Amino acid sequence: MRATPSKLICATVLIAILTSTLLYAQDSTITLSGTVTDSSGKVISNAKVTVKSAATGQTVETQSDADGHYVVSNLSAGDYDVTASAEGIGSVAAKATIAAGTPLTLTLTLTQVQAPEAPAENLPNAPAPNKTEPSLEDLGFTKSETQANAQEQALLDKRTRMLKIHQRMGLITAAPLIATVITSLGAGGKNESSASRDLHVALGALTGDLYGITAYYAIRAPRIKGTPKKGPIRFHEAMAWIHGPGMILTPILGAIAFNQKNNGEKVHGIAQAHGPVAIVTAGAFGAALLSVSLKF
Amino acid sequence: MGQGMNTRALIAFALLSASCALAADHTWVLKDSTLTYHVSHPLHQTDGVSHAARGKGVCHEGECDFLIAVPVKSFDSGDTNRDLHMIQVTRGAEFPMVTVRTKLPESASGSSSIKADLEIQFAGQTAHFQQVALEVTTQGNDKKITGTIPATLADFKIDPPSLLTMPVKNEIPIRVEMTWSPQ
Repeated sequence: MRATPSKLICATVLIAILTSTLLYAQDSTITLSGTVTDSSGKVISNAKVTVKSAATGQTVETQSDADGHYVVSNLSAGDYDVTASAEGIGSVAAKATIAAGTPLTLTLTLTQVQAPEAPAENLPNAPAPNKTEPSLEDLGFTKSETQANAQEQALLDKRTRMLKIHQRMGLITAAPLIATVITSLGAGGKNESSASRDLHVALGALTGDLYGITAYYAIRAPRIKGTPKKGPIRFHEAMAWIHGPGMILTPILGAIAFNQKNNGEKVHGIAQAHGPVAIVTAGAFGAALLSVSLKF
Repeated sequence: MGQGMNTRALIAFALLSASCALAADHTWVLKDSTLTYHVSHPLHQTDGVSHAARGKGVCHEGECDFLIAVPVKSFDSGDTNRDLHMIQVTRGAEFPMVTVRTKLPESASGSSSIKADLEIQFAGQTAHFQQVALEVTTQGNDKKITGTIPATLADFKIDPPSLLTMPVKNEIPIRVEMTWSPQ
């Protein structure tokens, strides 16, 4: 029983979807955020916040910003012990349960600590707070410059997660792309077998599917406002305007050529452009990959 | 008698002025600066540069407290994609400023080299670097300070970002060039 091109294409689509799902599952994480305050409701900056997984014991530490905000990213669903403390102000311990896919907001209210303060670190000329020590306000930074932006951090986290998948998928796509180009040598000409053509079609279909997933993660990755594009990313994106349309055109021309060959005809008409378009597309894809991988 | 009173008042005023002058604070202001971090990757050597640092030093009773701060977003490596990734891994939106604090004896401004204990807050972490060697050169009234802070990603609990599955090196030395002016 010989696999038909449609069966081969279905199989490659399934493989591509499974690959994409597995890659995304590795990067599915949740954020815990909130505000640290004292018992009067005043926000506390520079409070130490510790989040400990009840399941694994893994601990993540952070500090509250000037507005008392804290954010802990990349958490998995589960139960956590959350503690916060600020020297001379107090501490608090809380439990948090994080559900899959749902960010959690938790306000941490510090209560007074009666224990004596720990001795200061005894470095030869280590900084110690005193009345002459300058502050950020003395340097003239505006609040918007020094203020934490949890929303932007979440956006950056999402962008990085999606572009990591984009990068991995791009590398994975390169393998069947190269194989498709190699098998094209046996798929055209006069003495080729239909098996060589089928293999070429299957690899081409797999490449197209993986390419589609690769492109999706680049297109859907969040854009960060106010960041003009500089460097290799400009060339990388310019190449996408070549290999993107090429990846649509190549299989269409390939399908026409495939039918002509199966009918015993010599490839003719617009289908003759299949090879050259495919080569330009593969070249642009390779150049895009190299532009962000190697420094020229 | 009136003249004697005036003389005593003048002497008292002069002594008071002198003692006030000796105890008075004076400050140093960061005039210009270049901070450069260096990242090594098997396929890349990258430098990110910022000229946006601001700083102030307040001297009191023979000792100066210095604070230097620079926005994380101000570092430019020449590649937008890399800079955004750097901001993400260093949690630059949550902790937008890098601050460096140090305390130096006032006499250090007359030395050609100093060793400073630095407290650096970055990426939500505080790291201490002891006895960092800095060179001091005098340019008129200004003091130019140069040196390299031997920072690592681990100091600030930053996971090394990777490219093509290869992580960058842990070491991220920061080259410092600052010109300070007395105020």
